[in-house]
Amino acid sequence: MKVVLRNEMLTKKTNGDDISVRNVNVFYGSNHAVKDISMDIKKRSVTAFIGPSGCGKTTLLRVFNRMNDEIIGCRTEGSIILNGVDILDKKVDPVALRSKVGMVFQKPNPFPKSIFENIAYGPKIHGIRSKGELKEIVENSLKKAAIWEEVSDRLDESAMGLSGGQQQRLCIARALAIEPEIILMDEPCSALDPIATAKIEDLINELKLRYTVLIVTHNMQQAARVSDYTGFMYLGKLIEMGKTKQIFENPTEELTENYLTGRFG
Amino acid sequence: MVKKNKETKQFRVRLRLNEKIIVVLLFAAASAAIAFSGAILYTLVDGSFSFFTDPKVDIIEFFLGDKWIPTGNNPSFGILPLLSGTILIAGGAVVIGTPLGVAAALYLSEFASHRIRSIVKPIIEILAGIPSIVYGFFALMLIAPIFREYFGADYFNAASAIVVIAIMILPIVISISDDALKAVPNHMRKASFGLGATRWETATKIVMPAASSGIIASSLLGLARAIGETMVVLLVAGSVANFTFNPFNEVMTMSAFIAKVATGDIPPGPAVSAAFAVGLVLFIITYIINMIAARIVLRIKTGGSLYAKKGDRRNIVARQYIKFIQASTYFLFRIRDTLHNFKNRVYKAKALTLERRYLKQRIGKVVVGGSIIIAIVFLIILLFDIFSRGIEGISWTFFTSYPSRFPSKAGIYPVILGSLYLMFLTVLFSAPLGVGAAVYLNEFARDTKYTRFLRRLIQNLAGVPSIVFGLMGLAIFVRLFNLEYSLLSGSLILTIMVLPIIIVASEEALKSVPQSFREAARGLGATKWQSVRHHVLPNALSGTLTGIILAISRAIGETAPILFIVAFFAKTAPSSIMDGFLALPSQIFYWSTHPQTEFHTLAASTIIVLLMILFAMNAVAITIRYRSQARRDW
Repeated sequence: MKVVLRNEMLTKKTNGDDISVRNVNVFYGSNHAVKDISMDIKKRSVTAFIGPSGCGKTTLLRVFNRMNDEIIGCRTEGSIILNGVDILDKKVDPVALRSKVGMVFQKPNPFPKSIFENIAYGPKIHGIRSKGELKEIVENSLKKAAIWEEVSDRLDESAMGLSGGQQQRLCIARALAIEPEIILMDEPCSALDPIATAKIEDLINELKLRYTVLIVTHNMQQAARVSDYTGFMYLGKLIEMGKTKQIFENPTEELTENYLTGRFG
Repeated sequence: MVKKNKETKQFRVRLRLNEKIIVVLLFAAASAAIAFSGAILYTLVDGSFSFFTDPKVDIIEFFLGDKWIPTGNNPSFGILPLLSGTILIAGGAVVIGTPLGVAAALYLSEFASHRIRSIVKPIIEILAGIPSIVYGFFALMLIAPIFREYFGADYFNAASAIVVIAIMILPIVISISDDALKAVPNHMRKASFGLGATRWETATKIVMPAASSGIIASSLLGLARAIGETMVVLLVAGSVANFTFNPFNEVMTMSAFIAKVATGDIPPGPAVSAAFAVGLVLFIITYIINMIAARIVLRIKTGGSLYAKKGDRRNIVARQYIKFIQASTYFLFRIRDTLHNFKNRVYKAKALTLERRYLKQRIGKVVVGGSIIIAIVFLIILLFDIFSRGIEGISWTFFTSYPSRFPSKAGIYPVILGSLYLMFLTVLFSAPLGVGAAVYLNEFARDTKYTRFLRRLIQNLAGVPSIVFGLMGLAIFVRLFNLEYSLLSGSLILTIMVLPIIIVASEEALKSVPQSFREAARGLGATKWQSVRHHVLPNALSGTLTGIILAISRAIGETAPILFIVAFFAKTAPSSIMDGFLALPSQIFYWSTHPQTEFHTLAASTIIVLLMILFAMNAVAITIRYRSQARRDW
């Protein structure tokens, strides 16, 4: 059983303090998927990771909430300092970490339960039992995810009956319900139509006022639209990272420029 | 370039004619299912008719009466005691076996490593392969005395049967629940982990509810199995039809009554035809349960959503049943929530810290892991007990003597021969029939109403309680066809019983042959039958053989179907198919019912022989499967 080191520091919300990533390496067996990545993530901003397929963006994203721990044969090295705690330390419990770092997946994956139960699941397992409190949390989360108006009258109906875009916003609400500091988004719009995509992009713009958003996307234009900072990855390495405007208009590395102009995909 | 001349033309005409004949034969093999189902229905309906038209019998009293005294001057045929006995035992077995099995499946699916899975799954298979008569013997020898001594139960009591049958249905519950749990998409688990849930919370709050219909189906199938169970009940639950729900009393179930008639303990009269009426009730009950469960399982296997699509009129019964179960579980959850709220108001609940959540997980893992341990320990105790009882009886004389009133002189020479002859004949009849039916259904049949009807019939045949096959054998083969109490009758009964097993296994083997093989052959001008015979069948051979061996290992341990026909004494071994015969499972039963320990030793020794034969058969089947996988280059 893992002991949570300095648990209070993890649960305390702090301002300031960027997230520092230092020398992160991820191995799947002998496959070196993420190669020595170091960077600073600014709090309460949107950071996008772009790059061709297989460059390690999703693997890197999954390091932040230690989802890679679930994969047999996967090894992670390095450190990520969040609020003064190295979350990659073996002594940090992934279960506790994931209440601070939420995730939204590529394909919307609501549970086969009611809309209410989907959102209430997170708070419930973290100890919130009173019905009144849960109702409040559900309503707030659905409002923050800009879907409250659409579902407020059918909270007891199955979440599987929602459209793809609504389901994804439900998943975002679900992640928000546990009050994370960081939200990880793994290509959240790739399974959605343009209208739903636009809604979610608007949502991301609102979210960054309160949360730190890390988003992986295949869609360069989306990264340009939505993010404050962009990191370009290629074959496991972080080639370039900086303000989005600068990366897209004036990239330093030739590789970055080649990718952005479509010389390879 | 192949020259076309008169010879070629004649050749092709003959070829087409042969092909037509073969397809007709295969079609007949598949359609035999209709004849067999008809035979069962005829048996039950005709027998029930004679029963209900007997002047001593009142049909209202049959369904509502609470006294079952089938013999004597003033017989009373009220079925309620038999129903209560069946409900008590089958219900009790399911109440114990379902949680145990679901817990074990949860452990296997969500917590066990690959290594543990690969060790536990074969053990469950072993549990499934042990014949019911062996369980019955164990219940009689070890379980019943415990209940007698520590619980003050009657000499024969329902509790012993309940405990043993609960273990017997474990393999069914575990395997179907495991399938259902594994069918829950992995992205749901990921979503739950992403929200910071522990493995235990994910398993119990997300995966298990998502697999609930499959779990329900598994318990239904376990229930059907328990209702049809005969030999355990016959040996240990008793033969007095008490109308009671007290597990420590002696009871008689429907299946046990029919078997009692078979063993000849009941003098001729309306009691004998009563067996058919009881058999009809038993058949209908198991049929309904199996039908509902099958619909649910079909939904899971085809990955269909259990939420009704508009306008989908099929599977209405299954959906209604699921809705009923979901409504009742919702109701149960509401009760639980109310109790929780009450408790929270009464005293301040402890905060749900991380430590407590991990404690819950550790306790949970121990509980579900423990259920697997229970099953394994039971198996070990059973095998150990039987071996220690029977090993002293194994000797050369044991194998070469005839059964005798004097246990020291008794042996199983004609018994082994009888079983071997029986199996040989059963294979002879069932293999061509079963494989032929499978070939027709998989290779030639089109998806018509008739084909689907045939498939449903075959599936239903698989769910018929084994004692009903015994009734059918008596009515059709012995009485109607006048085949006497012979090897022929016995093997025909067993043929019908194992047919669904062979058909399913053969179809699976055929399905595993890639479609490209068939297409390549047809592309070169081969007829359908030619492509099947030359390219599909040879590659499906090992799977088919394994299926046949599996079927025979079921048949060799079955007592109830042959109970009406088999003998318990013989002076000579059978020498023709019309001769009477003894068989291993029935001899075990016969000797078990004698109170003297020496006969129990004989029974145990015979069980050892039976288990050895089963072990050898399964070893052969596994070797065939292994060799064919290794040699497979596609």
